[in-house]
Amino acid sequence: MSADIHIGDLADFTAEQSKERSARNLAAASLRFGSLIAFAVILTVFSLTAPYFLSIGNIGNVLGQSAISGVLAIGLTIVLVAGGANVVTGGIDLSLAANMGLSAAVYATVTQLGYNDPVAVAASLLTGLAIGAVNAAAVVFAGIVPLLATLAVMNVVAGLELVLTQNTVVPASTDFLTALSASDALGIPVLAYVLLGFTAVVTAIVQYTPLGLRLYAMGEFPDAARAAGLPLKRLLAGAFLASGLCGGIAGILSVSYLSGSTTGSSEMLLPVVVTALLGAVFSRRLVPTITGTLLSALLVGFLVNGFQLLNLSSTLVSGVQGILILIVVSTTTLLRKREI
Amino acid sequence: MSLSASHSPVAPWHHRVLSSLARYGLILALVVVFAAFSLATPTFLTAGNLQSLLVNNFTLLAIVSVAMTFAVSAGGIDLSVGTAVDFASFAFVSLVLAGQPVAIGLLGGLAAGAVVGAFNALLISGIGVSPFLATLGTLFIGRSVQQLLTNGGNPVYLPPSGVPDAFRFIGHGAISGFPLPLLIAIVVIAAAAFVFARTRFGRVVLAIGIQPSVVRYSGIGLGRHVAVAFILTALIAAIAGLILTATVTVYIPSSGNAFLLNAIGATFIGTTLSPLGRPNIAGTVLGVLLLSIVANGLLLTGLNFYWQQVGTGTLIFAVLAFSFINRKTGGA
Repeated sequence: MSADIHIGDLADFTAEQSKERSARNLAAASLRFGSLIAFAVILTVFSLTAPYFLSIGNIGNVLGQSAISGVLAIGLTIVLVAGGANVVTGGIDLSLAANMGLSAAVYATVTQLGYNDPVAVAASLLTGLAIGAVNAAAVVFAGIVPLLATLAVMNVVAGLELVLTQNTVVPASTDFLTALSASDALGIPVLAYVLLGFTAVVTAIVQYTPLGLRLYAMGEFPDAARAAGLPLKRLLAGAFLASGLCGGIAGILSVSYLSGSTTGSSEMLLPVVVTALLGAVFSRRLVPTITGTLLSALLVGFLVNGFQLLNLSSTLVSGVQGILILIVVSTTTLLRKREI
Repeated sequence: MSLSASHSPVAPWHHRVLSSLARYGLILALVVVFAAFSLATPTFLTAGNLQSLLVNNFTLLAIVSVAMTFAVSAGGIDLSVGTAVDFASFAFVSLVLAGQPVAIGLLGGLAAGAVVGAFNALLISGIGVSPFLATLGTLFIGRSVQQLLTNGGNPVYLPPSGVPDAFRFIGHGAISGFPLPLLIAIVVIAAAAFVFARTRFGRVVLAIGIQPSVVRYSGIGLGRHVAVAFILTALIAAIAGLILTATVTVYIPSSGNAFLLNAIGATFIGTTLSPLGRPNIAGTVLGVLLLSIVANGLLLTGLNFYWQQVGTGTLIFAVLAFSFINRKTGGA
């Protein structure tokens, strides 16, 4: 945004403003289409070099494999929307990956104790919600910076997971988990449908309801939102609760995908953060959106998958992710700079 | 929020007491934790253990946290401090393994760290990317680069016969009984404190963190100072990488990331010491000390290793909550 004060007559001012606005729209559009084109190019290259790549079975696999990180990244996106773009002072939830780990461990442990699936599902979701509640209390009521509050909560949650599992994989196998990790007649994993369904529900809420609009208002223009009388504290607390719930859901998906708890949940944190932040380029105004995050999660999923099919080292994926986010953010910044 | 205390000069007495308690909450926590471990375990308060605490728990984290304090002071954050640690460590081991003198290895390590810092500086000052995103990108790229350099993530060992004396001295040496790594940490802390308190550069960096637009309008080269701050961050982190390598005589890819979250934690815990909630070297060092004492003390209590992590996390959370709640109510 330009902070300069324009002195001149009104006509000049509006002409300049509209020129600026169209330049900005052009920049945003080129970036958005650029990233969509880049996505398409990546898909084309992989499908030409690895024939199996664009088969329905493989696409379903990628969707299924992206389900866990996708749900986590969507949870993080809700917090990004509500907290605003500045990651340090605004919204971030570093406890999400650890949350998934603990929720998964709770699910596995509860079934090991002989309880049935509904109890285990409830226990996992409650675990996620409880972690979200602690984050909400720390950020909204204690006023701790989200980066710091969720960092501390992450440490506690990761510790609790270790206490519960003694750093081993707790196996879990129930009818529900088997059904969740199965594939349908077309060979598409059930987890793929879960990811799509989950995205549809959250998109409906965040992008198409007054509640979602308020979340955006609070994140982008906190002062205006306060002046308009929005219940900021409740909205922000709600965003952290929702993100905690996403952690619980991801935990259930992870138990079914791995047939047990996981000891590597902390590895997922930074990739999830990158996925959620990268998602903004798939939106019209370069803001975080749920569908953008889904696209970004799928992009990463296709990259990992394509590298595997081509027998390339999957360790390169992290480098590609890093370069992608830098290219995207640099072009955005440079385009914005030029028009001001 | 943090400034609210100064808005009401006639705050009720109990608010004033609480807010000064909050400001010194970190010191209070240190005293309480120190006393508790001294009473709870017979071994905590012994010269041997305190030395081990400082050498094993404090030294490296303190250096990385001081590095982080530069980035946070300049209004940013550096998620790639671990990358600088790793690059320095890799360059050092590789050069010594190739038969180069230790001095060349040290310089090469620092240079490798500086490369990471320069890359960050280019992104942040040159292009204008936000520090969080820029250094996140660097962290991810650095991870892949390390995997490529090591054939998919294999550690690089120095054979026991091939460790030069000077190399071993950096990690395990002592000057008149004083462990060299700890001495280096103290020099780094003192130098950083001097830079912030006594140099123009330090004051400008602090000003950038508080009010960047004022710095810009004062005609001071904002980008230049931010760039130097991020290069310094990586250089200081590289020092930790050199000491780490000299201590364990091996480079393990991406091992430096272990410092990242604790360094962020220590730096931000340290901000509670400042009335404006700004990062400061004294606060950072006390934050590192708190984390070190808790890690060392919990180990001595013989508590289940996994409960120790819960304990550490809960304690940090409590210190933060205490400071922030009172900072809010102090002036409200």
